[in-house]
Amino acid sequence: MVEVIEVRSVSKTYQQPKRFPGVLGALKSLVTPEYTEVKAVADVSFGIRKGEAVGYLGPNGAGKSTMIKMMTGILVPTSGSVSVLGCTPHERRMEIARRIGVVFGQRSQLWWDLPVADSFELHRRIYDIPAARYADNLRRFAELLELEPFLDRAVRQLSLGQRMRAEIVMALLHDPQILFLDEPTIGLDVVAKDAVRRFLAEVNRERGITIILTTHDLQDIETICPRLIMVDHARLVFDGELGRLRSALGSARRLTLEFTTDPGPLPLTTAVLTADDGLLKHYRIERDDVSLVDVLTEVGPGREIKDIALEEPNIEEVIRTFYQRRNTAVPA
Amino acid sequence: MRQLRIALRLVLMQIRSQMEYRGAFWIDRIAQIITYSSSLAVIWLLVDRFTELAGWRWPDLLLLYSFHVLGYATGAAISFTQMRDLEERVRLGTFDSLLTKPISPWLYIVFSGFNIGYAGHILLGIALMVWALWIAPVDWSLLTIAYFIASLLSAAMVTAAFLTMIGLTALIWVRSNHLYSIFFGFWELTRYPLDIFPVGIQGVMLTIVPLAFTSSVPVAVVLGKQVPLLGDWAPALALLAGPFFVLLAVLCWREAVNRYQGAGG
Amino acid sequence: MSAYLAFAQSGFLTQLAYRNEVWANLFGKLVQVFARVAIWTAIYGGAGVIGGVSLEEMVTYALLGGAVTGAARYETVVGGIGHALRTGDVAVWLLKPVHFPLYVIASEVGRALYRFTFLVVPTVIFVALFYGMLPPASFFHGAMFVAYWVLALAIFFLIAALFGLVAFWLLTSFSLEWLMQALLNLLAGQLIPFWFFPEPLGAIARQLPFAWIVYYPSAVWLGRLSPEECLAQFGIGLGWAAALAFGVWLLWRRASGRVVVQGG
Repeated sequence: MVEVIEVRSVSKTYQQPKRFPGVLGALKSLVTPEYTEVKAVADVSFGIRKGEAVGYLGPNGAGKSTMIKMMTGILVPTSGSVSVLGCTPHERRMEIARRIGVVFGQRSQLWWDLPVADSFELHRRIYDIPAARYADNLRRFAELLELEPFLDRAVRQLSLGQRMRAEIVMALLHDPQILFLDEPTIGLDVVAKDAVRRFLAEVNRERGITIILTTHDLQDIETICPRLIMVDHARLVFDGELGRLRSALGSARRLTLEFTTDPGPLPLTTAVLTADDGLLKHYRIERDDVSLVDVLTEVGPGREIKDIALEEPNIEEVIRTFYQRRNTAVPA
Repeated sequence: MRQLRIALRLVLMQIRSQMEYRGAFWIDRIAQIITYSSSLAVIWLLVDRFTELAGWRWPDLLLLYSFHVLGYATGAAISFTQMRDLEERVRLGTFDSLLTKPISPWLYIVFSGFNIGYAGHILLGIALMVWALWIAPVDWSLLTIAYFIASLLSAAMVTAAFLTMIGLTALIWVRSNHLYSIFFGFWELTRYPLDIFPVGIQGVMLTIVPLAFTSSVPVAVVLGKQVPLLGDWAPALALLAGPFFVLLAVLCWREAVNRYQGAGG
Repeated sequence: MSAYLAFAQSGFLTQLAYRNEVWANLFGKLVQVFARVAIWTAIYGGAGVIGGVSLEEMVTYALLGGAVTGAARYETVVGGIGHALRTGDVAVWLLKPVHFPLYVIASEVGRALYRFTFLVVPTVIFVALFYGMLPPASFFHGAMFVAYWVLALAIFFLIAALFGLVAFWLLTSFSLEWLMQALLNLLAGQLIPFWFFPEPLGAIARQLPFAWIVYYPSAVWLGRLSPEECLAQFGIGLGWAAALAFGVWLLWRRASGRVVVQGG
């Protein structure tokens, strides 16, 4: 397999003017402006192979957008090197542009007052897409995302979900090898989110298009991306499969036991009691080698259990645990 | 060729977008014509009372005003609103999206924002110019006609280049719009002959804010009047100013796009 | 009342926060004032007095001309009110114990005070150092100028608010901003004082509310109005302000009523 993206010890630093509060502060920045250096990306390296789908994840201000912008040729790294499809993006911006698709979730590239079809037609001209291939792609993608009903409506009359679907289809019309998506599901309702996710997963699987997406919504990752890259405070903190992250952390499972009669406080060694509602007791099983049988054995016979619920950790919890542990281990 | 076809397509799309609001569009044009007429009326009131302004009489001042409106409108149609909104594009990140397209961002911005709103200026400018040419004391020959048209083009080029250079600072400093208040401060002066201003202002308007070339220099040449500071160089410089500042703007634009950092985050 | 003071204060402070804007505005203002003085110097040529008015008086008039129009901007008031009404954003304001046009005006007054302090006064002083400037004709005229200045600011913003409200029915505030400029150009006396207008144009212009924005304050400073006239014209100006305020109140009620009925 070929690496389509190679990022080697990349850093990006911004200069930002300092602002001071109050009248005196404003006067101060008027006379002697000061700048602070903001490190958005610090020494990040990774490689992405053809056909992969990668989720790029991190809290606000962790440098996700900056990384996408460096990979798409918008920004130049302060140090390190980025290589996309064998080129340095900002040096061969035009050439790279023809071979990638980019969707920025909150910044529409559609013409607000004109029908969607007009924006598509303009896209065809800008990317020099052969007529037959354009028609074929449009038909297929439009069908998958059900665009036909609103292709001839002005963009300003569309819902956010419809707009995002159109946006994604447009980014794919020129058969890009890599598709970059910055927060593609932000602000969408559940149905629209689901449609977008299934579509992206399918495009990745069927067409072998490499997908890199940043997101806040972990469901996106679970549906689309087998691989996860996590950044925090500008640094790369995890790169691997979601499953590996989960097992590496051994995230806690949640166990709820419902008794027929209240056994009183019931501390256990195999699980931690987190909440006690009398008949209902909530536990956290922190160790991976503890099984449900172990816990029930410890509870012992003689206490009649009416119902048992065991929940596997969901992705949000996995990631929250991850960041919490990091922050306690390495003070920022 | 391909670029040209895309530019044309962008302009047509922009016109169709604007025509979605055609009622407001024409009301706005009428309002602009009224406002420009009111500025001209101020000049008329001045010469009505004082007969002349530094040797310029009503026909001269009318020609100057019409030239100022036409040259400015032609240049601004391909620069002003587009470049003023560049600040917003940078802030919202839509400029970033443009950089991911296989097209010159300048071409896209300028033609997708091609401002047909200047139709009002152009209608008024042409009408005033016809009136002015009717009454102004110009010895017309093929040469003066050619010179007049060429200097009008040069004026539009200076306007567009200068407005572009102001706007592109947004790529480096994020905020740029306040600089337009300096531009329009000087721009208002181009309705008057350069002669009336102190030497300092004259010097500025012939160099770092080269707006004298958009009206009073070429019009003085056509009317056979002396141009302060430039003297005999005025006719040639009025024609060269356009290409020179366009070239400068192109270089600045390239440099700014290369140094572009995004809005941060 | 204290809420509106807070709006004005925050308008003032936000202006302070932007360094480059301050310098750019200062520079732009300076050019304008220089130009206005230059125009009058050119017109007077060598003549000391034209029509009973000296060059010195005209230079002073030109410097004072920006005292209100150089500090106050109508765009945000016309555009702000027009926009809020058309988009229905105004609905949010209807829930607050704040009168929306007054809110817009208050924050704009803050900005105007800022511009007056940091732009107008420095530029006037700077240009006066070059060309000279006459003091007020008397202590009384000086004091009246201050009162006229406050009245001018009020009339200016009330007219702007009225235009902003009309924008609601016209569906475009852009054209009203331009019309406001056209009226200020001609009828405020910004560049040419009405005593140089041909009659009956001058007489008509003296009666319209725009005259109180530039013409009357400057004429009072120069002592071209007797003390009795000063007071009388001030009274008429107050009358205009009251009429305009009533107009704003009336149109606002109708416009906001429409927004509520249409559901934004």
